[in-house]
Amino acid sequence: MNYVRELLKGNTDCLLLSLINRQPTYGYQIIKELEKKSSGYFQFKEGTLYPALHRLEKSKLIKGEWQLLPNGQQRRYYYITEKGQQVLANRLATWQDFSAAVRAIIHPKIS
Amino acid sequence: MGNIVNCYLARFKASLQIDSNIKESVAQELYTHLKEKSEELKEKGFSEEEADRLAVQALGSPELIARQIYETHAQGSWQEALLAALPHFTVALLFALYYWQNTFCLSVLLMAIVGMAVYGWHRDKPIWFFPWLGYYLFPILVSSILLVYFSPQIGWIATITYVPLALFVVIYIVEQTMKRDELYALLMLSLLPVAFGWLLSPGVGDKFIRSDIAMVQLEAKVPWIVVTFVVLAMATVAFVRLKQRQHKIAVLLIPLIAILFSVALTE
Repeated sequence: MNYVRELLKGNTDCLLLSLINRQPTYGYQIIKELEKKSSGYFQFKEGTLYPALHRLEKSKLIKGEWQLLPNGQQRRYYYITEKGQQVLANRLATWQDFSAAVRAIIHPKIS
Repeated sequence: MGNIVNCYLARFKASLQIDSNIKESVAQELYTHLKEKSEELKEKGFSEEEADRLAVQALGSPELIARQIYETHAQGSWQEALLAALPHFTVALLFALYYWQNTFCLSVLLMAIVGMAVYGWHRDKPIWFFPWLGYYLFPILVSSILLVYFSPQIGWIATITYVPLALFVVIYIVEQTMKRDELYALLMLSLLPVAFGWLLSPGVGDKFIRSDIAMVQLEAKVPWIVVTFVVLAMATVAFVRLKQRQHKIAVLLIPLIAILFSVALTE
């Protein structure tokens, strides 16, 4: 369990950037998407999401904007920035190389 | 939304000592989150109170969120840290190069201080701005002290007019800064013990009061003055870069120790 938490902690930024890159989104939707897309595997402690989003925003990887909905409710939508897209591309490439290397060791092909 | 949510948000706000705009924005974000979660739970058949309680529970400790949000916003960049420490480094350099009595250098420094203070005040008061503001307040305080001391010669009317006005400006700026964050007020005022420590130190204070300011002789103490301003500059850099409040407070105590130690050594 702790190992999963550690892995999740190390990849939180990448997961959040990936979701925001698909479409501008807001906090509660991010929590639901993470749970839905991972079939319940990623269960974030919801409160940890907002510090993570603010950290990404401070690093100028995403940008938050308040939007007024037709029902009068306000939501803060997050948009990925150009810098965020570059960082995400780099991290995804690194992640793919890393996971390929781990797979090659864990499940070596028999030649 | 019920009492449970309001209570949760009140605990969050009470734990977050940060710029009020950021605080309100994050609180509003949490409120929206709780409202949506609670609505969803109510649709599943939970009572309003139960839905609010579960929503709050899922979000976790408000104190922990406040601490993590604080740590995110409290840490300045290296650029901000160096800009914040720049006035202290400049003063250390002026003393190190023995330019501290050079009118041109002092005028340029004074203009830079006024320029940066005015610029920062109108640019949402970023963290680097507060040490500059400290230097902006310093001449106001020194001139008030001098006026009180020399009032028999200059005239009491000037003193009675100027000193309350100067004190009002200083108190107003300190109050405004404390509303933003008490630690920013500490950062701003961190110059005062060092500067007044040297101005009023034995041997210097007497001459300072007895003769003309321009004639103040500090030569013998210059190396130590340089050291204390460099320590103040480095403490400022650390203050901006550190994330936790208690570490920030601790680092601002170092220049205090340095000035006490230096004044005692040069006595």
